[in-house]
Amino acid sequence: MENLPVTDQIVARCRMGDARAFHDLYHAYSRAMYNICLRMTGHQADAEDVLQEAFVQIFKNLDNLASDSSLTAWVKRIVVNHCLSYLRKKKVHFEEVEDQEWKQEDGVDESEHTLTVAAVKDAIGQLPAGYRTVLNLYIFEDYSHREIAGLLGITESTVKTQYMRAKEKVRQIVKLKSKTI
Amino acid sequence: MNLEEFIRQNRSGFEEEGPRPDVWAVLEKQLPKPKQEKGRVVLMMAKHWWKAAILVALIVNAGLLLKYMNTRQEVAVVIPEIKEMESYYSARIEQKLEVLKQLPVAETGLDSLTMKELELRNDTYTMLEKELAANPGNERIRAAMIRYYQMKLELLEKILDEHDKYTNDSPSTKKDVL
Repeated sequence: MENLPVTDQIVARCRMGDARAFHDLYHAYSRAMYNICLRMTGHQADAEDVLQEAFVQIFKNLDNLASDSSLTAWVKRIVVNHCLSYLRKKKVHFEEVEDQEWKQEDGVDESEHTLTVAAVKDAIGQLPAGYRTVLNLYIFEDYSHREIAGLLGITESTVKTQYMRAKEKVRQIVKLKSKTI
Repeated sequence: MNLEEFIRQNRSGFEEEGPRPDVWAVLEKQLPKPKQEKGRVVLMMAKHWWKAAILVALIVNAGLLLKYMNTRQEVAVVIPEIKEMESYYSARIEQKLEVLKQLPVAETGLDSLTMKELELRNDTYTMLEKELAANPGNERIRAAMIRYYQMKLELLEKILDEHDKYTNDSPSTKKDVL
């Protein structure tokens, strides 16, 4: 994503209201941002709605982007925030859990199951929205547990616990599926 | 291999195609309105307000000249010095105009309409020449024409001075312009 061909010049032209520059900016980021929305919402139509709302805000607020800031990080932050707003509207709660519930789970090897992209995708899709959000933000969007805690307004240990539970759930679903095949 | 490693190694497999074209079609209708033209005009007017003011003065002057011509108060006395002044001013104006034409528009802040008005041989000038040819002794037309030359020359000198000052004072400014 960092090598997207979006130059400072395109941003400058967008700030002047150049329609072609908005088009270029959108096409440079739309696929990557759509994938974030799709993973977070789980539905194509919802993902497109969220993406659209996020881009309206991006276009309107380009003046607020500091010249030394990363455009990619800024765009991604807006998109992720829109996804989280969408989830909150859908009444997804990111509940707190007791600190001691989280245990470090190093060295777990999923190789005993047949991991395939399709199986993992399907399993993630079946996760409850809260778990799925934490897992997506951590694995796909490379946010740290602390950053996720900040975004969701919960403690870091809760994030770690939900993440471990999400992984466990994925593991179970993949295992179950590989047995049935 | 654990789940994180598997996903990171097969990242592309988890990526879908982009959104449908409809998304851009809807977005396109909500694009912020262009502010380039308005911004530039306002900025240019603020920066070059005096040019606009002198331009207005030139146009008003041209109007006054027309009024003078309509009165057609013939003066039978031909003043030879005025002919020399005409030649002097028109040569100086042409010379300054040539210099000005070599400069980039972005640096002078003069649009094509203003440049046309600055040209010596514009519609008003041609009309004046015709009138003078028909009424060579009309002193008031000649005097008004000299004033026209003077204002034009002053304006051109002022524009070139301002340009020199601007480029000498801030040599880095040009680099900042995209």
